[in-house]
Amino acid sequence: MNFTLKAFIRKELTQTLRDVKMRALLFGAPIIQLTVFGLALSTEIKNINLAAFSRADDAMFGRVAEGFYSSGWFNRVGYQPGEDPLELIASGRADAVLIAPKDGLARSAERGDGRMQLLVDASNATKARAVEAYARSIITAAAGREYGARGEPALRFDVRVLYNPAMESSMFLVPGVMGMIVCLITIILTAMSLTREREIGTFETIVSAPLSDAEILLGKTIPYIILGLVDAALIVLAGYLIFGVPVRGPLWQLALAALALVVTTVSIGTFISTVAKSQQQAMLGGFMFLFPAILMSGIMYPVENMPKAVIVAAYLDPLMYFVRLIRNIMLKGGDTYVLLTNLGALTLMALFAAGLAYKRFRQTLN
Amino acid sequence: MNAFNIHRAYSIARKEVMHILRDPFTLALALGLPVMLVTFFGFAIDYEVKNISLAVSDRDNGPASRRLKEVFSSSGYFHLVEPAPGEGPVAMVDSGRAAAALFIEPDFSKNIQGGGRVEAQFVLDGSDNSKAGAIIGYLPGIQRAAEAKLGAPLPREPFSVETRFLYNPELNSRWFTVPGLAAIIIGLLAIMLTALTVAREWENGSMELLLSTPVRPLEIIIGKLAPYGLLVLAGVFFVYLVSRLVLGVPFEGSHLLYLAACLLFVTAALSQGLLISVITRQQQVAMQFGMITGLLPSMLLSGFIFPVESMPPFFRYFTMLLPPRWFMAAARGITLKGADLGELAVPFLALGLLSFGMLALALIKFKTDLEP
Repeated sequence: MNFTLKAFIRKELTQTLRDVKMRALLFGAPIIQLTVFGLALSTEIKNINLAAFSRADDAMFGRVAEGFYSSGWFNRVGYQPGEDPLELIASGRADAVLIAPKDGLARSAERGDGRMQLLVDASNATKARAVEAYARSIITAAAGREYGARGEPALRFDVRVLYNPAMESSMFLVPGVMGMIVCLITIILTAMSLTREREIGTFETIVSAPLSDAEILLGKTIPYIILGLVDAALIVLAGYLIFGVPVRGPLWQLALAALALVVTTVSIGTFISTVAKSQQQAMLGGFMFLFPAILMSGIMYPVENMPKAVIVAAYLDPLMYFVRLIRNIMLKGGDTYVLLTNLGALTLMALFAAGLAYKRFRQTLN
Repeated sequence: MNAFNIHRAYSIARKEVMHILRDPFTLALALGLPVMLVTFFGFAIDYEVKNISLAVSDRDNGPASRRLKEVFSSSGYFHLVEPAPGEGPVAMVDSGRAAAALFIEPDFSKNIQGGGRVEAQFVLDGSDNSKAGAIIGYLPGIQRAAEAKLGAPLPREPFSVETRFLYNPELNSRWFTVPGLAAIIIGLLAIMLTALTVAREWENGSMELLLSTPVRPLEIIIGKLAPYGLLVLAGVFFVYLVSRLVLGVPFEGSHLLYLAACLLFVTAALSQGLLISVITRQQQVAMQFGMITGLLPSMLLSGFIFPVESMPPFFRYFTMLLPPRWFMAAARGITLKGADLGELAVPFLALGLLSFGMLALALIKFKTDLEP
């Protein structure tokens, strides 16, 4: 690497890292975000407020309701005698209400009915679905306790969850959130930093310096590639130390995946900066890319579950390949087929994006 | 010193509107983002996981194992994939070509015909929790269907439960996400756009210039923020139209109440944007601040996707400080449940307090920063 370029990169890094607020944002914020997401976001639904309606002397129903409260998923909600169960849900005091049969659960079950009613507030559809699933398993268990286990089922599934047996949310979210944060930081920073130079007029100074086009482009992008990689490493380390998210595959695979992603996103950021005329445009343009990229990446929603047209679009999303790669490397230990196909696709994208950014960049320079 | 003058505020606002209109690209992006979000959440996302590829190792290949496979594929959730020759189903899961694998032992059909109990091993990919959780949820239904089909009907359960889903009987995912989108749009546009525009004035020094004119600081603030407030409300209105006319999401409650909630939240968001711009005074930093304190909390800590009640206690209390959480509760309550002000007293009170607190904080910070 030649001397001018090195000096240029050093100047860029110093300039970015000089500001305390910027340093805090670059290195502190990702860790805080990761911690918040890892701790706060759980795919398991808990603390469901449940009220159980029955006649006072319905002992069997009382035991069934007790099964709900002792499961750890439900909180007890009291009610005034004569209150309307629907009103309890409408006012938001209860998420669900379990109602006993009119003549008592024991008598109803003897008649061969035994039907309880469960009212669920479905204004949150995911929560409602979880409540129903919990209720079914709790009621089946309660029936077993009251009447002895029914005949063992003829068919039983022996279920084994690979890679994350306890189904911990942090294991699932940390790799994805890492891709998301790295993507956010690199795209927005690159796009805005170049636009800023143009906005305040320092870009002309750089152009008039004795540097080739390629040197200017490298000098403006390599610092952000370095920062992006440092952030990626920081997040993996924090994920390991705070949440115990393992890195089961080789580190070089992880590093290669991160490099390919960061080169792609920095190139996209550069491309946006060549189109945008102000930092505001650069930011909005960045989000125009980031929103679909994050939503279609599979970080939060499985890609296979989307309509065909969206799946086709997802194949153009670098973050999707990265999320597949990183989940595979960190949780599954790395699979050659996954590595080759996804890293290959990501590398192609990186080259294409870098080429495009270079071409546009030269056009704006001249 | 003269008091607040609406005409001067109006002039500033007119200048700002011209700024926005002169830059059609920004306007298009600012209005394009809501369109994109509503399209994505309205059409692309379905929480019911389908198209699960299931690799099957059938070492029985008898009538019962074939019926079991049929039950899986006719459930509508799974499609069966044959393992490639020389490759086991677990390797398929490893490489991500299958999300789950089913193992059927050699004597499966023989045992079940003899009235015995059979077991099938079901292995699934835990590296994607959202998928794995859904698959586990489907298994009991599959098991019941399979037992019926394999001619081993269950003894009747003494208890059963009949579930009624209120407000969203078909558990339509759109009804759940789309009413919450307004929170994301306000969080994104109001906070980020204002943080950026005001930071720009600081960055290139024009704010000092503005302040040295007879225009009062309050007039500047109102004049600068009002156009963005309207722009954001236009985005929210657009989402409302699409959700009613195209997506068929119901609106049960009072529109006036919804507007009030939007206005309160917009006030909080604009104030937050202003506060960020005063603190950072640089667009790049303002943007990152806006994202971390504005956009991400509205998306992730507001209950938009992940329910607040499921979070650990610390975060349950922490989210009480976030306006989007209260707005989300109010918006869902009004649109889906038709709740009235009495039922939404807590969210409205909290939203009002936080909005005025945020506004006061921004104004104080803005004023004290004028005196060096």
